[in-house]
Amino acid sequence: MSSTRDIVLVALFAAIIVALGLVPPLALGFVPVPITLQTLGVMLAGAILGPVRGALACLLVVLLVVIGLPVLAGGRGGLGVVAGPTGGFLLGWVPGAFVTGWLVTRLTRAKAGTARHVAALFAACVIGGILVVYAVGIPWLAAAAGFGLQRAALGTLTFVPGDLIKAVIAAIVARSVQRAYPMDLR
Amino acid sequence: MLSLYLPGDTLLHRQPAGRKLALLIAAGIGLFLVKSPIILAAAAVAAAALLLSVRPPPAQIRRQLFGPFLVLAAIFIAAALLDGLRPACIVLLRLAALILLASAVTLSTRTSEMLEACEKALHPLERIGLLNAARVSLAVSLVLRFVPEIFRHYHEIREAQAARGLHGNPVALVVPLLVRTLRAADDIAAAIDARCYPPTPPASGRPQHIGKTPSA
Repeated sequence: MSSTRDIVLVALFAAIIVALGLVPPLALGFVPVPITLQTLGVMLAGAILGPVRGALACLLVVLLVVIGLPVLAGGRGGLGVVAGPTGGFLLGWVPGAFVTGWLVTRLTRAKAGTARHVAALFAACVIGGILVVYAVGIPWLAAAAGFGLQRAALGTLTFVPGDLIKAVIAAIVARSVQRAYPMDLR
Repeated sequence: MLSLYLPGDTLLHRQPAGRKLALLIAAGIGLFLVKSPIILAAAAVAAAALLLSVRPPPAQIRRQLFGPFLVLAAIFIAAALLDGLRPACIVLLRLAALILLASAVTLSTRTSEMLEACEKALHPLERIGLLNAARVSLAVSLVLRFVPEIFRHYHEIREAQAARGLHGNPVALVVPLLVRTLRAADDIAAAIDARCYPPTPPASGRPQHIGKTPSA
């Protein structure tokens, strides 16, 4: 993290995550809750910028929330979000983007065909963008609500179909962006 | 982008940001140690009074608290059905007090003050060279500068695609948005470098005089 370009990329990606929160949520008939595109930005940060810069972009968004800016979907923000029972799902973005980016550097080959490349990106987004984020968010929710882990996990099941759809979108988008604008993952 | 901060001159506004954050953390720990519903109810009422003392407009309160209280309601119902009413009340009052207190701190503290307090808290990281406050500030201001820009690009792309009969395909929307933004990053980085920002601190302890010779 030294060059100005890295700082600009991190900041612009944080701005993309914020801007995706301004996009009205997609309501799909077969998914129980409307899908906000903000967590799509988290997967994309890792998959396109790489582990360190992707995690820093998410950390920057968290910092903006903490200092009281309404940068989350629906114009929410402030310390109430971080301190609340779902705060872990926000803080989980940082390791989530890191793991996504790290897996993308491990799993993808430069010469792989489209299908294999997209499949590897999808796996990275599922593990980093869903499993890792939930691995922070669920214990946090369990601790805040005084629930067992199982019950807290059960409560978040409604979000899994939407997140899987986002992982598919993120994989296809990351593949297209890498072909249109190839860059090193860092 | 508008901050959640509400200008004012109440007791809470006049406290330094660092003190408010420290008290909020202490209150958070305290709330999780207390198990008595009566004390927790008193804490929730006090937190609500503190939040109202900042005189927030009702619309903003509704927008900020609707989501969290929906989650709280779900937690309360689950706890009431599975554990009984008393544990459910304890959880509800505890989380409500915490969220109300945290909101009161956010509403009564300027964004710039909060950023300063965060930089102060991160000072140990800066001393060992892991972090540079000037770069963090640059990144924060870049985000604030470019969110409206990116959102405008998003609308342009959506309109262009709607004109060609593509409706609400997220892949077709996000790919051009990202490519456009990543390409812009190079120009923005060059513009910042051309202005020599962020300034590197002088190697020696003495300030460097630019454009005039230091007097002997």
